[in-house]
Amino acid sequence: MTNSTRYVISTALITLLSIFAFFPFYLMIIMGTYRNEELFSQIVLVPGTYLLENFKTVVESQFHLVYINSLVVSIASTVLAVFISAFAGFAFSKHEFKYKNKIFAAVLLTMMIPGQLGLVAYVIEMRYMGLSGTLLPLILPWVANAFGVFWMTQFMKGAVPNEVLESARIDGCSDFAVFFRIVLAFCWPAMTTLSLLVFLWSWNNYLLPLIMINEPELYTIPLAISTLGDAYRTDLAAQILGLSLGTLPVLILFALGSKSFIRGLTAGSVKG
Amino acid sequence: MSTIKRKWVPYIFLSPYILLYVTFGFIPILFSLYVSFTSWDGIKDKTFIGLDNYIFLFNPDSYFFKSVGNTLLFIVMTLPFQMLFGLFIASLLYSRFVKWKGFYQLVNFLPYIVTPVAVGLMFNLLFDWQTGFVNKVLVLFGWVSEEIYWLGEPGYARFVIALMLFWKGFGYTMVFFLAGLANIPRDLYEAAQVDGASAFDMFLRITMPLLKPVITFVLITGIIGGFQLLEEPMLLLGGFGGGGSAVIGGPDRCCLTTVWNMYDTAFGSTTRYGLGSAIAYGLCMIIALASVTGYKFLNRGEQE
Repeated sequence: MTNSTRYVISTALITLLSIFAFFPFYLMIIMGTYRNEELFSQIVLVPGTYLLENFKTVVESQFHLVYINSLVVSIASTVLAVFISAFAGFAFSKHEFKYKNKIFAAVLLTMMIPGQLGLVAYVIEMRYMGLSGTLLPLILPWVANAFGVFWMTQFMKGAVPNEVLESARIDGCSDFAVFFRIVLAFCWPAMTTLSLLVFLWSWNNYLLPLIMINEPELYTIPLAISTLGDAYRTDLAAQILGLSLGTLPVLILFALGSKSFIRGLTAGSVKG
Repeated sequence: MSTIKRKWVPYIFLSPYILLYVTFGFIPILFSLYVSFTSWDGIKDKTFIGLDNYIFLFNPDSYFFKSVGNTLLFIVMTLPFQMLFGLFIASLLYSRFVKWKGFYQLVNFLPYIVTPVAVGLMFNLLFDWQTGFVNKVLVLFGWVSEEIYWLGEPGYARFVIALMLFWKGFGYTMVFFLAGLANIPRDLYEAAQVDGASAFDMFLRITMPLLKPVITFVLITGIIGGFQLLEEPMLLLGGFGGGGSAVIGGPDRCCLTTVWNMYDTAFGSTTRYGLGSAIAYGLCMIIALASVTGYKFLNRGEQE
């Protein structure tokens, strides 16, 4: 086989698979640009002309408030999770202390525990603490993130040179200054990857809001789009546009960060 | 003075994580264990009933083993294909024969980032009995004489869920395999090429063994993630009605997953917190068993 045939075959295969991956997504976008009745009567493959009207319907249902709620939850979860994980990772990778290995093993163990294990009691705890009318219950589970701790520890072990830390300490840098000025500067790739993942997970989370959130003012995107049928029951096209709009932020984030996401994963050298 | 201060430094860096995990992770897990030994609806007083909830899991009325079986079936139906295709695409992208790698990478990863709720609803629309895209196309080309009732019959409904999960998941495995491939030193392949090894030989003797940690990681996280399946089948079968409370588990509960079962028991059609917690603990035990089996299975292959 010559190299050019290989090139053609490889490109054809990857294009075929990419079409399979993209097609349902494409239809979701396209169906949001049609008038409701058109969706039932014909097969739609090219963009329609009704996008703006559907957009108006969606905006009228206070969709922007839902957006703000989701952004608050995801940004708070991401920032807190990344910094707390980096803190813990710094302790595990660059310090010696009693029971270090045992505590780290415990963190690894909690990584394997499915999040639903404590769910019933977590919901009760949140109600008992009087937090059920707020967005906090949707943020807290992501903040203490065992995967994040494991991830940052592994990365810091290899990426932050001990000599640099030592010389900074000799120069009189406090441990916090060392962390914020030096350690974080070395850890951007790992922090980017972790941020993207935590943002994605918290943005897409459905079960917790479904249980915890009763007030429509506090709805997040997944909860809102699952109940779009209640807001404008007969307008399927507007509902589908809502789906596309709900995916837009994570799509933009991953389109921008896709390269550093893979680079971070590669550098973090996945270990089983 | 400074050495005494130093001793506390790691604990200070560690404390936010430990405090938050204990408060919002560990205490709920312990308390759930206690709740699982009680009968409780969250309002009236708890009554301690010992192992009754766990014994009830073996009663077909709890749907516990049915839901575990369904979930396991979905994992078996999808995970091998997700891994196979993920590895295949990653190898293509990593070879010298594909251009625009970043673009293909993003497109194939796209399904994984779409909100699971939207995925379920989208496939609900695509496979709708009368107005869905799939039936329209099938009828248009004359491949079927009448519309298929995709979501109304257990076999078809399971097929649609498997297809949906496969579609959603192969980009995720691809990303990890790409990262794994990038960590294999190129000169290994060059040396093998000099020795006259074929591409297939190199894949079998170099790529596969060196990818083993990644394969293990993807398999274990795939099993753990697979057992948490909830949104996609719930919205696929419930549609835009919200909550998916209309049909629990689809036709004959053929698509009731374990987490869906737990949700429905504790927060859905009943508020049996005790039984819901017992389902969660039962699920955790089964996941632990499945992970250990998966891990052993892979390591046994290595010794042979």
